[in-house]
Amino acid sequence: MENTAHLLNEIDKKLMILLRDGRTLIGYLRSVDQFANLVLHRAIERIHVGTQYGDMERGVFIIRGENVVLLGEIDREKEEQLNSKLTQVSVEEILDAQRREIESKQEKNAILRQRLKQRGINNNPLLEDNE
Amino acid sequence: MLPLSLLKTAQSHPMLVELKNGETYNGHLVSCDTWMNINLREVICTSKDGDKFWRMNECYIRGSTIKYLRIPDEVIDLVKEDIQAKAKNRNQNQNQNRNNNNNQQNRGNKNNPNQHRPNPNRNRNNVNINKN
Repeated sequence: MENTAHLLNEIDKKLMILLRDGRTLIGYLRSVDQFANLVLHRAIERIHVGTQYGDMERGVFIIRGENVVLLGEIDREKEEQLNSKLTQVSVEEILDAQRREIESKQEKNAILRQRLKQRGINNNPLLEDNE
Repeated sequence: MLPLSLLKTAQSHPMLVELKNGETYNGHLVSCDTWMNINLREVICTSKDGDKFWRMNECYIRGSTIKYLRIPDEVIDLVKEDIQAKAKNRNQNQNQNRNNNNNQQNRGNKNNPNQHRPNPNRNRNNVNINKN
């Protein structure tokens, strides 16, 4: 078992989980199975925009394993160091900031697409508006 | 407790299911299987952007399309009770078996004072009866 990748050592630790849709969840891992389905307890969803972040309480999650990109334990010491660089804001503020960030990204992409089109390059999949 | 067992424990509770495509389904869990396929009742479906809503009495969701499920906090407490109850049952059964074995041993000794061990086959039968 020592040389295999497994999650049993992470049980009951406070973890950060990144999903394939880009969302970040933080909570206590309570259970896993052979598909890497996860049970996350006292979970929060954290949104980062620049140096600001906001937390939303989410309770208990059962996450289907295939949607997980990565997960890892949160280092308490480093978390405190980071907090001097990041500022927590309210949920409304962070959602607003996130909306503005997405809109500006879409605008930039639209301009880029237009310029590329003028030069004869169409439908670059990297510039599509989905997240 | 495995994730899918927890899901089974959450039967009849309200929950939120988000699909991989971003749609969410709010409803009460009716049933689920080992593929995470689920039946919901009294469902409200919300589009990805959260701007369109549909109501339906029941729906079936294929497990492979699910991103995650959010269940109420109470279900975790239910699990704790469940585990405690099961442990209690197990202890009771064990005690019962032990008592029965002792009785049998006594009986055996009465019938045949030279017999020191109870018949193992008899013993096994007894255990099965207790389980049923």
